[in-house]
Amino acid sequence: MKPENPLLPYLSTLQELIDLTPDVKLFRLELNDPDIRESFDYKPGQFVFVSAFGVGESPFGITSVAHRKAGLDVAIRRVGTVTNALHQLEPGATVGVRGPFGNYFPLDEYKGKNIFIIGGGIGFAPLRPIITTVLDYREDYGDLVIINGARSPQDLVFAPEFDAWAASPKTKLELTVDAGDEKWTGKVALIPSVVSELKLSPQNAIAITCGPPIMIHFTLIELRKLGFADNQIITTLEGKMKCGLGKCARCNVGEKYICKDGPVFSMEQISQLIEQF
Amino acid sequence: MDFSEEIRSKAKELLESGTVDCIIGYERATDGVVARPLFVYQPSNVDRLIFDQTCAHNLTKYLLNRKDKATAIVVKPCDSRAINLLINESQIQRDKVSIIGVVCPGIVKAGLDNTSGELQDACLTCQQHTPVLYDFLVGEPASEPDVPDAYPDVSGMEDKSAGERRAFWEEQFSRCIRCYACRQVCPGCYCLECFVERLDPMWVGIRIAPGENEVWNTIRAFHLAGRCIDCNECERVCPVNIPLSLLNRKLGKEVEELFNFQAGIDAETPMPFSTFDKEEKLGISE
Amino acid sequence: MSEFISKQDLLTWLGQLMGERNLVAPTRVDDLLLFRKVDRVEDIVFDFDNTTMSPKEWFYPSSETLFYVEQKDGQTELIPAAIEKETAIFGIRPCDAQGMAMNDYPFLEEPADALYMQHRDKTALIGLACITACPECFCTSMGCGPHDPANVDILLTEVTDGYIAQVLTDKGKTLLPDNLLTTADVSSPPAPVLSEVPSDGIAEKMRQAFDEPFWDRLADRCIHCNICSYVCPTCYCFDVRDYTDKERIERVRSWESCQSPGFTRLAGGHDPRSTKGSRLRQRFSHKLLYFPRQFGALGCIGCGRCVRACPVNIDIREIIKDVQQLGVKSEA
Repeated sequence: MKPENPLLPYLSTLQELIDLTPDVKLFRLELNDPDIRESFDYKPGQFVFVSAFGVGESPFGITSVAHRKAGLDVAIRRVGTVTNALHQLEPGATVGVRGPFGNYFPLDEYKGKNIFIIGGGIGFAPLRPIITTVLDYREDYGDLVIINGARSPQDLVFAPEFDAWAASPKTKLELTVDAGDEKWTGKVALIPSVVSELKLSPQNAIAITCGPPIMIHFTLIELRKLGFADNQIITTLEGKMKCGLGKCARCNVGEKYICKDGPVFSMEQISQLIEQF
Repeated sequence: MDFSEEIRSKAKELLESGTVDCIIGYERATDGVVARPLFVYQPSNVDRLIFDQTCAHNLTKYLLNRKDKATAIVVKPCDSRAINLLINESQIQRDKVSIIGVVCPGIVKAGLDNTSGELQDACLTCQQHTPVLYDFLVGEPASEPDVPDAYPDVSGMEDKSAGERRAFWEEQFSRCIRCYACRQVCPGCYCLECFVERLDPMWVGIRIAPGENEVWNTIRAFHLAGRCIDCNECERVCPVNIPLSLLNRKLGKEVEELFNFQAGIDAETPMPFSTFDKEEKLGISE
Repeated sequence: MSEFISKQDLLTWLGQLMGERNLVAPTRVDDLLLFRKVDRVEDIVFDFDNTTMSPKEWFYPSSETLFYVEQKDGQTELIPAAIEKETAIFGIRPCDAQGMAMNDYPFLEEPADALYMQHRDKTALIGLACITACPECFCTSMGCGPHDPANVDILLTEVTDGYIAQVLTDKGKTLLPDNLLTTADVSSPPAPVLSEVPSDGIAEKMRQAFDEPFWDRLADRCIHCNICSYVCPTCYCFDVRDYTDKERIERVRSWESCQSPGFTRLAGGHDPRSTKGSRLRQRFSHKLLYFPRQFGALGCIGCGRCVRACPVNIDIREIIKDVQQLGVKSEA
């Protein structure tokens, strides 16, 4: 039964819950209705609302890729009432899914270019499907540099995939933390300084970044210093949302709605927005 | 009554001397009849200030937005009680506020002009025409009125049967639209997260409907028991004319009878519901 | 010559409508005038300026159940809410009807809001032209007018002993039987003259004034309640929450206001509009700049309710005048 009301969720089942960090879990979801499951198509950058029925609903970036036809994944950080309730679910539980919403990373436009992925903490979640797509269609894209940072080693998101990423052709993985632990032998540096140290070249390149506002702010400074133009720097914004349809009038930045006109924006588009956050 | 000149000259003096950065007072509203709050930052703007019997607003809530800044504020006696409350509950510092108190003969009914002489109901039982706290006083203090019955509205309600009272309040709260103007205007409502916003546990939801409306209004009244300084702002701002003061005054009357306490008379007397005594009053019938 | 319905026939007709569908009309509730469902024609008020609350609650209720979820024996079922009964709203003013047309833009834009669409489809509007105007009315400056027949199914204009009736849509034709109408040699009284508000080019001026300290100064006195948004015919922000009652879960949508502190606060604590000025600016920018840019029409229809209801006299007419002036000052 396809809901005609865009505020009605699709019933879905939680297949698997995987701990990624102490407060982030990967949720593998499957839409119950086979017709809806078959036609549910989405692109990197888009998001869904996941309902913990009886508690509420929140928006999450989709971290899986539709072309693999391997279910719908979201990475959820436990930070409030709804995410707390979702974290306490067991495989087999019924949740609601609404979507997909929003625009997407125009990966077709990035073909042939070098892709620099710069993500911090849970901000890395919406960037992961870009990496998956680039690696699944490796010949279509240039060099891939992945900078993944977090507060500490245990807060790095998608650790189970690091080896595969690092081993991929023309791919460089840089992990960095704000503070290491006894076992950590990798970089201890803030993400913007890693960007600067790697001397990423803006030549035929796109930089895609997501993370806490302060990380984006300083990363932007470094990228601009390296010569990246604002239309070469892409990010994905978040805002408090209730509908995902541009109807509850809450997630706007000036005249643009993050849920409809975004969440993917280039820095050029952001600098033209009336409201600056 | 019109004290506009006195207010303007005091405001000019305080701004020019650098005693304060801002005066919170009143000016004429766009209908040319009633008043509205005015924030004056420059001495050149003091001529906008007025004070007459249309100045209904209690401006003291605004002090909570300027906690660390030196501010002057124009207060009526009821408003001055709110300042005592806020000092008593450690929400503002006395030395940051310059209080311009006004001797008040009463505020006219909503929508009427200064000359009408028809006072709002709340002013008819007022027992304090001179502010309880001030740095500067405008107007001549007169002897306080003798008000034999300070709560005729409450007694009138108490005389009704439980069934009648229930029906009355159900009808009143059914009109509530949960605009929270009552809470926003009240100097006693300053919680950073109001109980109505709590999700876990969810005391009250977001449903604008009878049931939830009753819980919202009655719990707010209970949170103000022993704290409400009876300025009548909640009732004045309510867009659907719910007699909110009646509820708050009922609880105020109870506290006065039980604890011999009225909120806002001074800033030192321990408040009944935030004071723990080893020897508590245990039974109501004591 | 005009189509005419006598007062007596109007009352008879309204009585008939009451039997077949919900009839919503202005009625006295204590000292207020509100649009409520009426069961007796005597309860309808005909002589009034406008209601305290707009009729938007009949298309977009202050609280509305979106769906139920029942979980039994390991099975989950989702039951959407649906609007069944037909409604007629009598006594809606042209400005409010324009307001409802404005709400159609966000709600019916793809993907359309199903419940709002059902309300709209099942509701007929019987408008009442304005003979007098309140001091706060300014609809003529906002793209509307006291006798404007757009956006209603039937428009009635009061004359001696009855009303001129303009039947404007098929829905209106079905609703009002021909046999109640006669042709009479009456003409409409002149429309009341309203005070003017300089709304020409306001969107561009709002854009220019966006970063002015004007908004912070105005917000000094704003108490950030929800009154303006709730009385307004064209404000449509909402909140959504789940309720659990035994085995049944209900998801409810309710009105909310961009003025509330915490409207944009995220779970982690970050709030992009934490200042009073930014929230106040949001409401007026939405009405006078974003809505026109998005949909090509002003988001304010000049009914004046917010002006009457605001406890601290934040007056959109004054704001429009001031913003027009701000542009002039910065050019000087």
